Amino acid sequence: MNRVRNTKLVLWMIAGFAAAVVLNRFIFGLGVTTNLNDKTPWGLWIGFDVMGGVALAAGGFVITAIFYIMKREEFHPLVKPAVLTAFLGYLAVIFSLLVDLGLPWNIWHMIIYWNPHSPLFEVGWCVMLYTMVLLLEFSPVPLENFSRYAKIRNFLMKFRFVFVLLGIMLSTLHQSSLGSLFLIMPFKLFPLWYSNILPVQFFISAVALGLMMVAFESLVSHWLYKREQETNLVAKLCKATVWVLGIYFLVKIIDIILQGKFNLIFDGSWQSNLFITEVLVSTVLPAIMFAFPGFSKNRKVQWTGSIMVIIGMMLNRIDVGGLVMLGATGDSYTPLWTEIVVSLGIISLATLIFLFAIEHYHVWDIKPMEPEALPYTPPVFDDASKTWLGTPEVSGVTKHSLAFVICFAFGMGLMPGGHLHSKGVDNIKVTRASGFDTLYINGNRDDQLVKFPHAAHISRIGKDSCFVCHHLNFPLENLSSCSECHTSMYTRVDFFNHSWHTSAEGANLKCNDCHKTGMTKNTNSAKLCSDCHTTYKFADNENLINDKYQILSYVDALHNLCVSCHAREAKKSKEKENLVLCSTCHKTQLSENMAANINWKIKLPHFNNVILPETKSGDTRSK
Amino acid sequence: MSVGILTDITKCIGCLKCVAACKEVHKLEEDEPRIWQKDDGLSAENWTSVIRKPDEHYVRKQCRHCIEPACASVCPVGALHKTKIGAVVYDSGKCLGCRYCMMACPFGIPRYQWDNPVPHVEKCILCYDRIEKGEQPACTNICPTSATIFGERGDLLKIAKARIKDNPGKYINKVWGENEVGGTSVLYLSDINLDFLAYPVNLGTKPLPERTATAMESVPFAFVGMGGVMLGLNWVIRRRMKLSKEQGKEKESADE
Repeated sequence: MNRVRNTKLVLWMIAGFAAAVVLNRFIFGLGVTTNLNDKTPWGLWIGFDVMGGVALAAGGFVITAIFYIMKREEFHPLVKPAVLTAFLGYLAVIFSLLVDLGLPWNIWHMIIYWNPHSPLFEVGWCVMLYTMVLLLEFSPVPLENFSRYAKIRNFLMKFRFVFVLLGIMLSTLHQSSLGSLFLIMPFKLFPLWYSNILPVQFFISAVALGLMMVAFESLVSHWLYKREQETNLVAKLCKATVWVLGIYFLVKIIDIILQGKFNLIFDGSWQSNLFITEVLVSTVLPAIMFAFPGFSKNRKVQWTGSIMVIIGMMLNRIDVGGLVMLGATGDSYTPLWTEIVVSLGIISLATLIFLFAIEHYHVWDIKPMEPEALPYTPPVFDDASKTWLGTPEVSGVTKHSLAFVICFAFGMGLMPGGHLHSKGVDNIKVTRASGFDTLYINGNRDDQLVKFPHAAHISRIGKDSCFVCHHLNFPLENLSSCSECHTSMYTRVDFFNHSWHTSAEGANLKCNDCHKTGMTKNTNSAKLCSDCHTTYKFADNENLINDKYQILSYVDALHNLCVSCHAREAKKSKEKENLVLCSTCHKTQLSENMAANINWKIKLPHFNNVILPETKSGDTRSK
Repeated sequence: MSVGILTDITKCIGCLKCVAACKEVHKLEEDEPRIWQKDDGLSAENWTSVIRKPDEHYVRKQCRHCIEPACASVCPVGALHKTKIGAVVYDSGKCLGCRYCMMACPFGIPRYQWDNPVPHVEKCILCYDRIEKGEQPACTNICPTSATIFGERGDLLKIAKARIKDNPGKYINKVWGENEVGGTSVLYLSDINLDFLAYPVNLGTKPLPERTATAMESVPFAFVGMGGVMLGLNWVIRRRMKLSKEQGKEKESADE
């Protein structure tokens, strides 16, 4: 049973990580917890989880069609696991959709607000209905354990054929409609994948993938519980897959030739290489492998073949779902680790439920041994912790929940804190102003520099008034430039150097020199900079008190400094009125006449926190 | 009546007053460069932006308000729709956040509030509320050089063509938005190529929603057809099994 228990342990760990990410995603929003952006609004969660998940769950309708419609009785052992997988697969799809949707609590809107033109509307309805049908198809299995629901069970069993038929019809629709989703994007999807018969291709590949998924699942679960493999049944599935893959390949290639895109396959671009890889892995190689006489009964061939089809077809879904659009959008989206973890976590949860179901219900003809049902064993100390964690089933639960909680905590710790706290503001490093008498300040405005006549300002204000602007120096420095402390263009930064203050080479301070005794050592219990550095002139004491030691972004700092002084000067005389115009500092490429005609006002459209002259009551620096 | 906007690139001086006016009218918050924003300056808080191009060319980017909008056709709940006056508007109360509109837009216009835990799609709404009141959109109203003007789409097309005719050699002989993807309500007149406003693929003059329409029309047939095929297959197989069983019995009885 160790194999099962260790697998579960790993699955619980992944689930723990995923839970942390999902929690953060709902608190902070999608932007800072994923790499999704305005150019790539659909990422891994749609391409892999939703598109791939629905395709992976195709095993349910394929196997029921074989068993109930085509009356191939020998496939009976595969039917219940396949239907269960399909059901869990659809639950996983819905769950990942809930994580991906911006407003998941509005998902029921699809029921009342209709837009039948939208393929997504149709996919949504089909997935909803099919999940219910799958529930009805599978529920007789768990209901078997409860005798008082026998009537319901009999009722469900009676209409099973109807459910199966409905399930096949619904699956046909949405498996193909997932392809229709992309018909409207000829401008994004690379031509090798774009096709008017994309829905048909999606349906055929879903059938192939469904067959292989049933085979793979049989192989894995029997390996996990060390049961005798269903080699002959799997071999039959492999044989059937050869035909489906053959049809898929022909449809795809003929379509490409008819559209005149055949030369694109071998033109050497990354898309063409991806296409060749995808078709080889998903279709050509497995089909050839299975087609050799006797090969499909070889267990190693079954393993490799089924895994290849699964990976290849998933790659196809990911390609269509966004990967090959990157060429057109010019974006460089790669999923953040959070996205990958959530995808894996959802699969893990579904697998855990699957394992639970086969241990507790008659999914297989013979239930596998549960840990609880093991014969009595004397207490065994855990290898790692050297403690007795209880009887086998208790120790299993203890370990699993511990793994979940620890990984949840790790996940929380690993969240991209910089993104979360700056709310995704791009952290652009400031470049130092260059020049001597005239300083050239790059305000990140497409390399349009602000020409700052430094020498002229000195002569105007007076030689002894450097501190009007230069309010703070680095230790041992006389004229620290703005960019030394205001290092970030748009985000506030911390400028207190804690380690220097505690180091022997620095101020050599003890904790209680700054932090109040008996309080947590954080910014709230600490002294202000100005309590010790009484001679320093801080730019704006209010700012320091409000967000302890956080200093303004470069843009805000310079605007504060220049605009407030300019505004004061502008009020003094009519000649200086246009000192408050943006164009005074930010020269545009317009001629002077043109710029003067526009009648600028100070209303900066772009930047935050600029304190405008009207709202500023008094300035501490002027005293 | 279908209204629109005509932007003449040769007249734009890049003063950004349209951007500021748009922010003011729609009470959009101040904006900072975020990790999810991309090059063209549009964002959830910037519904229009001005792109600098070489030689003092300024190109204003905004929603094109297509005659047959792809975004509205793909929205599963109909949160986006084209109003009678021609504006493509968004109903945040219906939206469920699937972002299919962002995927489907051939001009890459709709933006998302990625930083918001309760995010909505944001884009230019052609100031439809101001138009209904009898006013102009904020951007055309404030433009100091009349580079961007508001009017009925038909009139604007006439004006554009007249300008091309009256100033030979000044413009490229094309009104952007006249025919692309079935035509757009926002038109451009220019002396530089404006194809960068859309994806670098010839979009054609066929409206994009038509591409899905054929697939969507065949949905009921596929549904019923698959059911019929499956039932028929089942009937044939059952009948065959029955026959073979009877044959077997007959054989057995014959053998006896």
